[in-house]
Amino acid sequence: MPRTWWKTPVALLMTAVMLFPLYWMLNVSLTRRDSIRRGDLLPFDFTLDHYRAAFGDQLPYLGTSLLIGIGTAALTLAIAAPASFALAKLSVPGRGVLGFALIVAQMIPAVVMALGFYSIYNAVGLLDTIPGLILADSTIAVPFAALLLTAFMAGLPRELLQAAQLDGASQWRTFRSVVLPVSRNALITAALFAFLWAWSDFIFASTLNREGGALRPVTMGIYDYIGAQNQEWGPMTATAVIASVPAAVLLVAAQRYIAAGVTAGAVKD
Amino acid sequence: MTTATTEAPPRPAPTRRRRAREWTAIAFIAPLVIYLLLFYAYPLVANVSMSLHRFDRGTFVNGGAPFVGLDVYGEVVDNPRFWTVVRQTAAFTVASLAFQYLLGLAAAVFFHRGGFRLAAPLRAALLIPWLLPIIVSGTTWQWMMNPDNGILNAAFGVLGLDPVWWLSADNALTSVTIVNIWLGIPFNLVILYSGLQNIPKELYEAAAIDGAGPWQQFRRITLPMLRPVSLIALLLGLVYTLKVVDVIWIMTLGTGTSQTLATWAYGMAFGKGASGVIRYSEASAVGTVLLLVALAFGMLYTAAQRKQEN
Amino acid sequence: MTKRTHWPLAAAAALALSAAAACSNGGTPEPGAEGNAEEGSTTAEIAFWDPYPQHAEGSAWDEHVKSCAPEGSAITRTSAPQTDLFNQLTTAVKEGTAPDVVLLDNPMMPEAVAAGMLATAEQSGIDTAGVDANLLGPGVVDGEAYGVPFGSNALGLYYNADLLAASGVDPASVTDWDSLNAALGQVADGGGKGITFSGVTGEEGVFQFLPWFWGAGADLADPASAEAVAAGQLLSDWIGEGYAPRSAATDNQSAAWDLFLTGEYAFAENGSWFAAAAAEADFEVGVIPIPAKDGGVAPVPTGGEFAVAPIQSEDASDHYANAAAVIACLTEGEAALQTNETLGYLSAKADVRAEQVAANPLWEPWVAAVEGAQGRTTDLGSDYVGVSASLSEAITASLNAEGDPAAVETAFQDAGGF
Repeated sequence: MPRTWWKTPVALLMTAVMLFPLYWMLNVSLTRRDSIRRGDLLPFDFTLDHYRAAFGDQLPYLGTSLLIGIGTAALTLAIAAPASFALAKLSVPGRGVLGFALIVAQMIPAVVMALGFYSIYNAVGLLDTIPGLILADSTIAVPFAALLLTAFMAGLPRELLQAAQLDGASQWRTFRSVVLPVSRNALITAALFAFLWAWSDFIFASTLNREGGALRPVTMGIYDYIGAQNQEWGPMTATAVIASVPAAVLLVAAQRYIAAGVTAGAVKD
Repeated sequence: MTTATTEAPPRPAPTRRRRAREWTAIAFIAPLVIYLLLFYAYPLVANVSMSLHRFDRGTFVNGGAPFVGLDVYGEVVDNPRFWTVVRQTAAFTVASLAFQYLLGLAAAVFFHRGGFRLAAPLRAALLIPWLLPIIVSGTTWQWMMNPDNGILNAAFGVLGLDPVWWLSADNALTSVTIVNIWLGIPFNLVILYSGLQNIPKELYEAAAIDGAGPWQQFRRITLPMLRPVSLIALLLGLVYTLKVVDVIWIMTLGTGTSQTLATWAYGMAFGKGASGVIRYSEASAVGTVLLLVALAFGMLYTAAQRKQEN
Repeated sequence: MTKRTHWPLAAAAALALSAAAACSNGGTPEPGAEGNAEEGSTTAEIAFWDPYPQHAEGSAWDEHVKSCAPEGSAITRTSAPQTDLFNQLTTAVKEGTAPDVVLLDNPMMPEAVAAGMLATAEQSGIDTAGVDANLLGPGVVDGEAYGVPFGSNALGLYYNADLLAASGVDPASVTDWDSLNAALGQVADGGGKGITFSGVTGEEGVFQFLPWFWGAGADLADPASAEAVAAGQLLSDWIGEGYAPRSAATDNQSAAWDLFLTGEYAFAENGSWFAAAAAEADFEVGVIPIPAKDGGVAPVPTGGEFAVAPIQSEDASDHYANAAAVIACLTEGEAALQTNETLGYLSAKADVRAEQVAANPLWEPWVAAVEGAQGRTTDLGSDYVGVSASLSEAITASLNAEGDPAAVETAFQDAGGF
């Protein structure tokens, strides 16, 4: 395709507008507290103190957050992918009811869920544990992933599946060796959202993992900077900047993978 | 869920084989069903039950909340605030959805057509707003919208416009909607972009041979082929927008016009915002109203799906 | 495994016993009325909740709390912001997993007591002797004390001495609302900005509003009185005149303080917890009491937390023994001074307060404010929350009115409901 000269500047401008709040955050994280509220365009009263504080306090939480994010993404796919295949391509009794259940499930406020989980977790000893939090965080993503994957898998050409079945493959093998590879983009998209929701969850963490010490996610660590009468915005924004680095790397990697999948022609035929 | 172009068996199969197929399908779906029952049934029932009893902090802790039937619903609907809040919720949701979707679609198509330098890294960068904890991005926006020395008003000044009190009671709804649109664009971009990638390239090539220009290609191929994904993006967007609490809360605590059904329920359930009084029952009732709204749109979605299949 | 086979029996016996005990008292047992610190003994693990997440693990406060663990015990400390802490406590008491000690914000006390969430001071072995009556007030319900305040903070009017000098304003001249407004006008004429305060929705904004409210002669029993409207008008005019930033409507106390730190504002209504930070500012900071409308010092609301023992359903006596030991350590003897100094509070006890002032002159201007402070809930009890909600709405609307008297008056009359 011919390159169009004006497109790159437009894309740059679009990205700049979208990322401006990010710049503002970076700006604040490098400004001394005295001047934070002055609203200067550049960090004139420059300091690295906020980063020193953030690194000192927050590193263990970052590891926990990564673990929880990846665990949630894996669990979400494990539950949603087979079910979506069945919903999209197999005749399941009570499909309509299940569809509504998925929509309603999305609508239940996380706070209601969290309170329900608290008594259950308290009884079975999952409070303040990482598996407990992964399980809870997955409830944000599973209905979403199931709806999304069903929509994608419904669009798969039926010849593809019929060919596999003519070969005598069982449904499970069709699913594993035909449907899954072909749905890679959708799977990665769903996993990405699962990861991001788990990464940014605060309500579950604050209800189910508040006494988890160093095993708390970084969103909780950030809240440590909000005191009764005093808030440390510098270290808070510094933490947000630090915390977005591993997630951004993951994001870019996942994006590349999606792009690679397309050029390899995985969706075609 | 009736997204699927139902895969009716090509010819009537023997009952035994059909039954076996049904069992396989059930095996595929069982984990999800068990999961839903295990994790959603209880909170859902608890939420509805809470709205039918009159709870306060004391009865929540020690039990003994009296059953009052639909009284709480009556009080909520009769509250002079109710319809105002419903109107604001509708405005917030419609404006957020429309702009998130349209801007997300524009960006997705723009990047999908590609043909320019830096397309891949810039597209990935557009998703970064998602990675930020909302407490931080919400506060950053609050500062940017500071009426006295915020960067937005400074920019307005350069353009010769009057400064705006962004988060005043009257302007709050517009301001939080702008920020919510900003938050929602990456979501729409990702989903719609994946949808675009699933449209076979051959269709465009064929259309190009027929002499269709970019706009016609977009109308005749992209839009119809993107329909299932668009519907799901809009439905999910609707559900998430109805549910939005955090960003509004951080910026305005739901004051002025920025109060929505979700922030109202949140404030009452936690004794936050203007009133420190805990109102578990009223909050649950508002929550149930939100659930019903989502259900109604779920039905619309199903109807749209059916229409598409025909 | 004889123990396992016998436990239902033991439980039945215990049930029968407690039923008998309840009967002998002649009525249904009060929830959590069982257990007494004196009958229990401290346990190996003690859970401690406070609303100070800013004091991270390993900070001076964290170590101070942990050093208060009795022999053979270890304290696990967790923190959350005020309202979250209260809600988490509500759930924890319901589920029978409440911590041993909680530091609860004082205006929440009557509601916590009404909800049956707290053990009495007597039950949990908490000594309230020597605590100022005005500070203890919020924790006393129907003559019964629940917990003890260890220290207090108060509101005052900080000023930027450099900016005032440059504008030709003598801070000592600010003795009533008129002289305050005159000073603000003079600063504004000189190109400076006036005053920062927190008008944020919720209890925090109401806390900051009450000195003006009480200073105008208003009463919490009638939150829509002409005096209340006058207080709302004062703040509204500041926004209208441009003396105060419009962001006051969304600024919390921390944000309002950060604005003052920029050096652009002459005054800041804020709390004693910033006294130490004020001494380190880039400009010279002084503090005066908040003036009442027609002169004199306006009463400020008491600030600070109560140390309380939540109701326990199992092993109550042991939990209360833990609470008794830890709270005694934090509020009595040598450590009492350190508790307050670490948090930047003034002690709730006059003798410790005197020691603090002697050691650190920073405290001197704050003593009168703390001693004259009024409990927000002392008169209204758990009804205060509702009144505070109405006030909060009225404040938000007044600030948005930007000085319009008619709008301010409606703001106070229309407030209320949910």
